[in-house]
Amino acid sequence: MYTSANQSKRPIDYANNSQWGNDSQADRRKKRKSRWGNTDQLDKTIIPGMPTVLPANLNKEQERQYLLHLQIEEISRRLRTGDLGIQPNPEDRSPSPEPIYNNEGKRLNTREYRTRKKLEEERHHLVQEALALNPEFKPPADYKPPTVRVSD
Amino acid sequence: PGLNLNQGSGPPTEVLCLMNMIVPEELEDEEEYEDILEDVKEECSKYGVVRSLEIPRPIPGIEVPGCGKIFVEFNSVIDCQKAQQALAGRKFSNRIVVTSYYDPDKYHQREF
Repeated sequence: MYTSANQSKRPIDYANNSQWGNDSQADRRKKRKSRWGNTDQLDKTIIPGMPTVLPANLNKEQERQYLLHLQIEEISRRLRTGDLGIQPNPEDRSPSPEPIYNNEGKRLNTREYRTRKKLEEERHHLVQEALALNPEFKPPADYKPPTVRVSD
Repeated sequence: PGLNLNQGSGPPTEVLCLMNMIVPEELEDEEEYEDILEDVKEECSKYGVVRSLEIPRPIPGIEVPGCGKIFVEFNSVIDCQKAQQALAGRKFSNRIVVTSYYDPDKYHQREF
């Protein structure tokens, strides 16, 4: 098998008529976007006081606690700065639910609203777990436990 | 809280432990697991020869040690250091990658 880096497109019929078994698996791999963040520029996220290189001698509980704190700080940062990770290209976004409008005709369940809500829920779960591990854990100042909803 | 994390990484080894990248549920699906494996292998290979790679997968009803972490064994300590420098703080599935060096003996005995 050969590959060529500068061959941007192969003849369309090649894939379908080839004697070689179907290569849909390989195609899927190629189309799929890597889970790594942007690799072109150094997109490191630095949270002051929260190193991303840990010593090897932490015990499991210390490690878990630290990762919880880091995730809580990161979600707080995203909520605060509006870095919600919404894909700029609408084609890359997941399908939206049916819109819900208020009585002034303003849409309530916008993507920003849904993303923030999801992040707040995720943070809530992380805060609960962090408190269970360490009752002295102090959640971020802008964290509020969600109010109990009677109905959705 | 009583944790001193500013002591740095400690002595480097040829095994890198990657944390905070995946949650166990993502590894349940075969296709998703394969994709993650591929993504990690591809990226790590940019920094050196990847000798082996372990992603402990969840087993229902059992607490699998190291599940949620990814272990990458490089050919040399230097390659492993390069990978750590490049990957710590990067994002994977929108999560911040946290790293530490891992004891190669423990790794080979699958003590995760």
